[in-house]
Amino acid sequence: MSEVPPHREGELAFFGRMGAHVSHEMRNVLSIIGEYAGLLADLLEAAEAGRPLDSERLKQLSRNIAGQVAKGTETMQRFSRFAHAADQQTASLDLTALVEDLVALAQRHATRAGCTLKTQLPNEAIAVTGNPFRLQHLVFSAIELLLAALENGESVTVRLHAEGSTAVVTMLGKAPITTDEWSARVSQLSAAANESKAVLDTSCTEGILSLTLAIPIQ
Amino acid sequence: MPHEKVLLVDDEREFTEVLSQRMQSRGVAVETAGNGREALQKVQSGSYDAIFLDLAMPGMDGIETLKHLLNVNPDLQVILLTGYASVQKGVEAVKLGAMDFLEKPAEIQKLMDKIHQAKANRMVIVERQAEEKIKGILDAKGW
Repeated sequence: MSEVPPHREGELAFFGRMGAHVSHEMRNVLSIIGEYAGLLADLLEAAEAGRPLDSERLKQLSRNIAGQVAKGTETMQRFSRFAHAADQQTASLDLTALVEDLVALAQRHATRAGCTLKTQLPNEAIAVTGNPFRLQHLVFSAIELLLAALENGESVTVRLHAEGSTAVVTMLGKAPITTDEWSARVSQLSAAANESKAVLDTSCTEGILSLTLAIPIQ
Repeated sequence: MPHEKVLLVDDEREFTEVLSQRMQSRGVAVETAGNGREALQKVQSGSYDAIFLDLAMPGMDGIETLKHLLNVNPDLQVILLTGYASVQKGVEAVKLGAMDFLEKPAEIQKLMDKIHQAKANRMVIVERQAEEKIKGILDAKGW
């Protein structure tokens, strides 16, 4: 049996972690819907006991439940696309949609690290050809790497644009001076990026740390 | 007048809002905190029969918050209520001194039972402390 490269070992862990975040998100959504259903039952019970029903309150409850259903549906649609990315070794894909889905799914991961994720994405699709799951992992790993350098309360901005025949994903965040351990992680991620025919670059200007992934458009 | 006082600690504002309404309609006074730090501030200035605490919160997580809360007052009745399903975390929380561990979604009656149980636990602690105080006074007087 051939040895698994270190950056590959993380792929299964990444899949599991995203699944855990989504299941947590969905539990929260279902819990809130459950509480709204309970509140409706409480109001109906009170009405049976003679207290008049407040139609405005019922309408608001209905809107709140619909809002949670929409939130849950969106999360599951994003997760479904994320999971199906593992179906094919190579595919033509829309990097804009991939980054948008990934950032939305990784939001809880960032929140747990005390940070937030923001996006600046183009309105149009940027088509690239590659291994969809590895590209997701690569972008997530870069976000995770930046989060590791950030302090509580900071945010990561994920930008995407096309530059000729290259798609450029940039992760920016206000970070203090990085450590040797962090630099070692950058080298590891750089190797993973090369395997996906991408190039990872880091820079720090005026306290703003940036990680750039240049991915060839084919 | 409410019979019990509860603190809900969860970063899901909509969840704490609607659960507060349901508990309040059952005669419970409810306060909320959106994170561990806020919960610590509330506990330092107020008294609660039960504290429902989420595990996965931004910044200070549930386990860390639990440690800090029990450091402030080891007699606090803290119940972990979380969507983060992990038996291991539940066991860890109970070992650290949490009263119980419940998974979301939880039936309101189950939560109410826990509030009553927490209040009963607190009463036992208060009675025991009063007895010890009286015993101390009696011992000091040589009676």
